[in-house]
Amino acid sequence: MKLAHLADLHLGFRQYDRQTSRGGNQREADVAEAFRRAVDDLLVQRPELVLLAGDVFHSVRPTNPAILFLFQQLHRLRVGLPESPVVLIAGNHDTPRSAETGTILKLYEALGVEVVTDQARRISFPQLDCAVLAVPHQALVQAERPALRPERGAAHNILVLHGVLEDIMDPEWSVSDYGSARLTRADLAAAQWDYVALGGYHVRHDVAPNACYPGSLEYVNPRAWVQLREEAKQKVPGKGYLLVDVPGARTTFRPVPSVRRHIDLPPVHGAGLTAKELDAEIARRVAGSKPPIDDQVVRLIVYDVAAGTARDLDHPTIRQYKARALNFHLDLRRPEQRRVVGVGAPGQRHTLPDTLREFLTRRPLDADLNRDAFVRLGVEYLDRVGGAAGEQG
Amino acid sequence: MIQRQTPESIGRVVATELKPATPHQFHFWTANETTIGIGAIVKVEGPGAGDQGSGRVVFGVVTDGFAYSDLATPLHDVVGAEGDPAKAAERPTVRQEIRLWTAAVLRQEPEEPLQPVPLGAVYLASDADVAQALRMDAYLTGAQPTGIPVGLYTAAGHEAPVYLDADFLLGPEAAHLNISGVSGLATKTSAVEFLLASIFQHFPAHKGRIAALCFNVKGPDLCFLDRPGALDDADRRRYERLGITPQPFERVRYYAPCKADGVNLNTLRTHPDLVGDVEPLVWGLEEVLDFAEVLLNRDDIDAKADAFIDFLSDRVLNKEFDDGFGGSHRVQTFADLDGLFRAIFDGLELTGRSDMWRTHHIATIRKVRNRLSNISTRCKGLVTDDGPSNDLPWGRFEDRTVYVVDVANVDALGQDLVFARAVSKLREHLERRDLGVEAVVVFVDELNKYAPGDGPETYVRKMLLDISERGRYLGLVLFAAEQFRSQVHRRVVGNAGTTLFGRMDADELATPGYQVLSPATKIKLATLPIGELMVRHPHFTQPIFLRFPRPAVLRGRDGVERFPPATDLPFEDAVVRQLVRLDRRIRPNQVKDLIAERRPDDVRRALAAVRRTRPEDALAYFRRILGARVAPVTAPAREAVPPLNPISEEPY
Ligand SMILES: Nc1ncnc2c1ncn2[C@@H]1O[C@H](COP(=O)(O)OP(=O)(O)O)[C@@H](O)[C@H]1O
Ligand SMILES: [Mg+2]
Repeated sequence: MKLAHLADLHLGFRQYDRQTSRGGNQREADVAEAFRRAVDDLLVQRPELVLLAGDVFHSVRPTNPAILFLFQQLHRLRVGLPESPVVLIAGNHDTPRSAETGTILKLYEALGVEVVTDQARRISFPQLDCAVLAVPHQALVQAERPALRPERGAAHNILVLHGVLEDIMDPEWSVSDYGSARLTRADLAAAQWDYVALGGYHVRHDVAPNACYPGSLEYVNPRAWVQLREEAKQKVPGKGYLLVDVPGARTTFRPVPSVRRHIDLPPVHGAGLTAKELDAEIARRVAGSKPPIDDQVVRLIVYDVAAGTARDLDHPTIRQYKARALNFHLDLRRPEQRRVVGVGAPGQRHTLPDTLREFLTRRPLDADLNRDAFVRLGVEYLDRVGGAAGEQG
Repeated sequence: MIQRQTPESIGRVVATELKPATPHQFHFWTANETTIGIGAIVKVEGPGAGDQGSGRVVFGVVTDGFAYSDLATPLHDVVGAEGDPAKAAERPTVRQEIRLWTAAVLRQEPEEPLQPVPLGAVYLASDADVAQALRMDAYLTGAQPTGIPVGLYTAAGHEAPVYLDADFLLGPEAAHLNISGVSGLATKTSAVEFLLASIFQHFPAHKGRIAALCFNVKGPDLCFLDRPGALDDADRRRYERLGITPQPFERVRYYAPCKADGVNLNTLRTHPDLVGDVEPLVWGLEEVLDFAEVLLNRDDIDAKADAFIDFLSDRVLNKEFDDGFGGSHRVQTFADLDGLFRAIFDGLELTGRSDMWRTHHIATIRKVRNRLSNISTRCKGLVTDDGPSNDLPWGRFEDRTVYVVDVANVDALGQDLVFARAVSKLREHLERRDLGVEAVVVFVDELNKYAPGDGPETYVRKMLLDISERGRYLGLVLFAAEQFRSQVHRRVVGNAGTTLFGRMDADELATPGYQVLSPATKIKLATLPIGELMVRHPHFTQPIFLRFPRPAVLRGRDGVERFPPATDLPFEDAVVRQLVRLDRRIRPNQVKDLIAERRPDDVRRALAAVRRTRPEDALAYFRRILGARVAPVTAPAREAVPPLNPISEEPY
């Protein structure tokens, strides 16, 4: 049996203020386009079972275009592959906080999609001699979890769930994956399954040879740069989904080309440079960009820039870069200030992160909380809202 | 308290040119009818000593005795009796006989100048004399006394308590105790049990908290330390004289590995009334890998294998690890590790690459794999392939508590492993001062097996050497027992500050280690009655003979009679039993329904979680950890979806 495993579509995710010709958010359209391309490929590959492992939507109340779009695409799948069941579970992003909110996901049952949003369900497909235990986010965060174990009765046993394995959590991911349920390897018992289809971690990752995260289909975290670094480290070719042969769990990664690139230009070290010299350095980086920055998502970090120098930069040219790129984030960083906090350092105002850091360092804390992690998280949050003006739109 | 009766001298010191008195030895004679014997402590008062208190006083212990008459040669006696032994008894004149004793000096007062023993009157030692003779006054009095009662010195119908100095028994001045003697007669195990009770009652408050970790290596020996044993009136009187309450240990925690099924315990303490407080001792890959050297050094020293094991613990265990053939592994269990090994062997074979994998030769890898899989098969129940582990409460050791680790039925290799890990962990925590107690006595029986004098260097022996050399500074104290001291590594026994000897084997006494003992002392050791011991302790300048009462705990042999071990239960019942003991309200059928058709490993893991957490409602927690079973539902037949009319507006 050949199955397809997709996760973390995050339809309805919006970022930056660039609009499409039709007035929608450009990044939202990019995210949708990625899924369309995946469906195109699915219709060629013709898997016998399609699993969507959570966070189909970016939020509980997705945008109307996102709702319509998913309807269209699932319809395409159901018409194109009428014999292939589609199992869709809710993730932490598209699970309502309270039951009465209800979920739009149920809409897709009308297309014959198996939608699992609340309690775990074991769905058996006699024609495939296969049982799929579908475990949505909600089932993992309630007091009594389901036993993630196969039962007798089917030749092939598949687990699909949305949650993050404790031991792959990078401290840097603490923010982005905050909402996901935590899992241990003993919870999963991968060895007992033919395949475990995981969702909730945005970089493709094998937890075991037969337990995988395909990763998200687009860079849908506000901090795409962390993902890019992770991808480079893990030698992941980019975004896509998985085709899996069962039994044996031989996986094939099907890349899904993104509409545009995320380009992290080589950083500039600004120490000792005048505003003019900096302008030149920045221009050189922009000119060297491959592909050119036009319509791409671009970041350039410049270290050690004094406030005065930043003011004197060639802002008209920078505005031009911003116009060319879909988003151009010139990330100017102040020189690291090493000063003694407290004893009235004259004339030096604390930056907001400094003040927060100082406050969090002193704030009374439950003994079982890790203060370092707590402070890091706080500053990270601040950083996000601070940076969001430019990044998220 | 101590009344000085009008002392009656029992003998006099004599000295001749051939047998002079020296500063360390003297001779004295007594009446033929005397109550003293080898091991008696005597006091010599030189001229001017006694109540006036100016002269020299010497304490000594009797080490040898002679009897003879003025007969010139044996032939004279034969001639006198006309060759007929019967006539010898009828002889009209009785020859003058002498009882002459040799004593070794224990102490002289004053100590300086050191002089030969004066030719004075000899007295039997009183309580106070014994205390003084053994220099116990130094640690029995003062602001912070450190005396630990060890037994009664008994001679001539007189008894006096003898104390060890805690600073020299348990550190930091000296430490460790070694006891040897023949099995079943030397009372080695009993003596250690008694002494531990004494330590728990008398360990000085200023030295903090103390616990004991005892390895049960033989049958039921240490399985009933919390149960009272039979004592007779004489024992009770001795306890009273020593100031010890005769009672079993109040806090004992038992740990035993499981049997191969992972729920029944591998110990003789399985009687239903008792098994409730036996904790399983189960280790996984991580616990084993830390001490994997133990597995190698037994028959061979192999630096390459060591290096590969280090590589596994540093780079592979609990980390994302790329096997170099496109596979990624996170190894946490033996099962995972075997997956990695298979991937390596397959990878090397498929790619036809060399015999090397990341600087490690394939032969080394195979060897390590064999040793590791060896331990997991030979010690199934102690070592789990992928189940939950359960260890001693490192960091939470409690004061005056005995931790018994029952390894009596564990394979020798497994015993070494338990040993190495337990002792190293103790050491680690004591170094960091976070064990929960300041001092731990580790009791090891059959020391000759673990620290033999000859044979290859093993990890366990190195470790025992290390504790015996450095443990006293850490509060890590070794109490060890063996039949034959001569078969134990010299430095391990040599570092024991205190040594006890029970009934000894004559061949053993003939080995060089006992040369310092007089022939008479050797004979006494070879015939020592049950319940008597000879003790050497840094404060005592000579070995002293003692009597100690039976330990107040149930003997292992009696324990298995009173509490016969239960037969192994089927898996389900064993699980029920363990849960019921955590929560009496639980009904067996509730548990059985819950675990029906679950995998044993999952059940074991849930059980371990309940044991760790000790929740209010054990069954509810157990159910929660197991997770709710999800019954299969057949997907409803879906009608094919017809092509729909296009939506008039493309969403994007
Ligand atoms: N103080 C004692 N007085 C009398 N009998 C004792 C005493 N201590 C032990 N025994 C008995 O001596 C026997 C052997 O003791 P045990 O401690 O098992 O010796 P070992 O460990 O040297 O083999 C036991 O039956 C025990 O009851
Ligand atoms: Mg014994």
